[in-house]
Amino acid sequence: MSDPGVATDLAEATEALRTPPQRGGGRTLGRRQRSVPYALLAPGGVYLLIGFLIPLAIVVYTSLQSGGLLDPNGFQFTWNWSNYTDSLTTYGSFYVRSVQYSGIATLAAIMLGYPMAYWIAFYGGRWKSTLFFLILLPFFVSFVIRTVQWKFILGDNGLIFGPLKDLGWLPDDFRVLATPLAVIWGITYNFLPFTVLPLYVALERIDKRLVEAAKDLYASKFEAFRKVVLPLSFPGVFAAVILTFVPATGDYVNSEVLGSPDTQMIGNVIQDKFLEQSNYPDAAAMSVILMLGMLVLALIYAKVLGTEDETLAAGASGG
Amino acid sequence: MTDEQLPRTSEFTGSLMRGMTSRRTSRRNVMKYMGMSVGALSMSSILAACGGDDSGPGGSGEPTAGTMPDYSAEPGSSLNFANWPLYIDKARVDGETVYPSLVEFTDETGIAVNYEDVINDNAAFVATLTPLLSSDQSTGWDIIVVTNGREFETLKQNQWVYDLDPAKRPNFDANAATWAKDPAFDPGNKHGMCWQSGLSAIGYNTEMVNGEITKLDDLMNPDIVGNNLVGVLKSEIPDVAMINLGIDPKTSMEPEWQEAADWIQMLKDSGTVRQFYDQGYVDDLVAGNLSASIAWSGDVLYYAIWEDYPFEFVVPEGGAMLWIDNMLIPVNAENPAGAYQMMDFYYRPEIAQLVTEWVLYMSPVPAVQELIAAHADEVKDEAYAEDLRLTAESPLLWPDDELLGRVSLGRNLVTQEERDAWDAIFLPVFEGS
Repeated sequence: MSDPGVATDLAEATEALRTPPQRGGGRTLGRRQRSVPYALLAPGGVYLLIGFLIPLAIVVYTSLQSGGLLDPNGFQFTWNWSNYTDSLTTYGSFYVRSVQYSGIATLAAIMLGYPMAYWIAFYGGRWKSTLFFLILLPFFVSFVIRTVQWKFILGDNGLIFGPLKDLGWLPDDFRVLATPLAVIWGITYNFLPFTVLPLYVALERIDKRLVEAAKDLYASKFEAFRKVVLPLSFPGVFAAVILTFVPATGDYVNSEVLGSPDTQMIGNVIQDKFLEQSNYPDAAAMSVILMLGMLVLALIYAKVLGTEDETLAAGASGG
Repeated sequence: MTDEQLPRTSEFTGSLMRGMTSRRTSRRNVMKYMGMSVGALSMSSILAACGGDDSGPGGSGEPTAGTMPDYSAEPGSSLNFANWPLYIDKARVDGETVYPSLVEFTDETGIAVNYEDVINDNAAFVATLTPLLSSDQSTGWDIIVVTNGREFETLKQNQWVYDLDPAKRPNFDANAATWAKDPAFDPGNKHGMCWQSGLSAIGYNTEMVNGEITKLDDLMNPDIVGNNLVGVLKSEIPDVAMINLGIDPKTSMEPEWQEAADWIQMLKDSGTVRQFYDQGYVDDLVAGNLSASIAWSGDVLYYAIWEDYPFEFVVPEGGAMLWIDNMLIPVNAENPAGAYQMMDFYYRPEIAQLVTEWVLYMSPVPAVQELIAAHADEVKDEAYAEDLRLTAESPLLWPDDELLGRVSLGRNLVTQEERDAWDAIFLPVFEGS
């Protein structure tokens, strides 16, 4: 029963910390000082404008074009909404599959990542940084190379299955590559650091004395975890899910390298449309659909599971 | 070793050098995966280009006469050559990789060549040049190598490559194979000259296949190739299927395309297909993840001849697809005169020989066959001599008239409507649901 009280006190304390101290008493700020915050925002603003808003506008613009590279008129802006409707009717199932794969992979990454992050945060001691670095170490290698190496490890007669087949423990035609499992496996593996990082930061910030206090109040180890640690780590879980699920849904490398014709994700179609068929309008329309879909899913998720406060906390812990 | 010792007769440039330079996988796939990671970058630049201007790329209107630079001008002191990975002769001298044939070119002309193996995929490579070409800027390349087909047609129709002067290629005129001259997709070799060429047919692992593969339909027989063990190249299978259905791709239209698409669907439904590839199939063939695949001849021959894998490359009864990789000079190239000089230089038999002994694709210079046979007789290392002999005798490198009668360059899609119709028929099969 004491838990809500602890949580409330903590929230108040956090709130107090967040309120900026009053600067300079009642003295009004000079013009130069007032412009400082804007000046500090400028690099980020310019970056967002050039790196996000303008390209986004171009993508949306392109998504409403028609024509082609061999068309005498090239590409023309024609308010061609059929790019959207056609994409949805033809490739709806690819969107669904992408969300499924990425959803399962996100769940798997949380299940794998949470215990790891928990152990390091609570029991890592002076090895914390080293252990955490070791988790991130494989990810210094290029994303694609890491994915390709799974082909060798999971190969039909590769490192794992070759010997098992020789021993007769697996049927000769057993395989993992070119199945949905391989693709989901690859996604889970590749996005794990995006899951572990926010989880670790959230868990590491938890005051260990709260757990001791819970135990003093006759909570079992499990209860202490469930009622104290888990709720306090939710912002991290929230951030981890967003950071994993959103990019994983658009991924196409894992499916291309580890999958089969039946495991194509929406990213594969967009890549094909863009690079192989030079069908920029369709590719752009499908990207916009994917982006909006992700945005809607993320908002629903935030509404249902997160609160504004947790989003903020997640943002803070992410940094 | 000094540069003087490099040239063709040195045995050190043979198998030893092959071993010392890194092990080759398919020239088509090595860099491809790296390309994926930069894909996002190029995409945004392309988008910027097509979004910025209503006419966009391709908006050249009616075809006008192409442009020809002054090939008689004094060539510049250097040129930039974009090619596919592992598609030229290599040697290692004092720890540095050099290209002996390019060294000879530089020695003779004084033109330094910046050789980069940056092309992993025709479509993806040309896509990165498109924004530059459509805004009339230099691509930075003096020579690029593009296969006949979609991207070649795009470059040609938009006049994004220079016309070549037929009067200024003596070696080509004297030495080029008949099939390399005046190809249907580029009459009079107005835009390009063949770098190397090859066949698209079936490569298979004799230890994983029951019996022999003789016809394309064998790929859908699980008793022969097994379940989930067949690789299929997306870019090649429509034409290869048509050829083996007895259709001439050149004159084919939608009904024939549909017939080929239906055949591919049958293949897919048979349960033998593992993956549709853009490339990268060779890695899976080598790893034993594939028993057979639609394959490019040189990829399979390399492993069969130089690495002693139990691989066979067969032209099925119905025939195979022939493709030609063309050297092209993009518009606004800085050194077109030097580039053209180099293109013709590679039609000297003794230079072409250097390349063929390394890449094992079809040389556009038939005289090379005898030179390689002679080289095999000179070589003292028996294993190396044997590999050279296999190279000199392979019917897949030196196709006879019977074989040439069974190959086709495939359908050249020349209008946007044709392209859209083709995609509408074949894409659903590849993409499934």
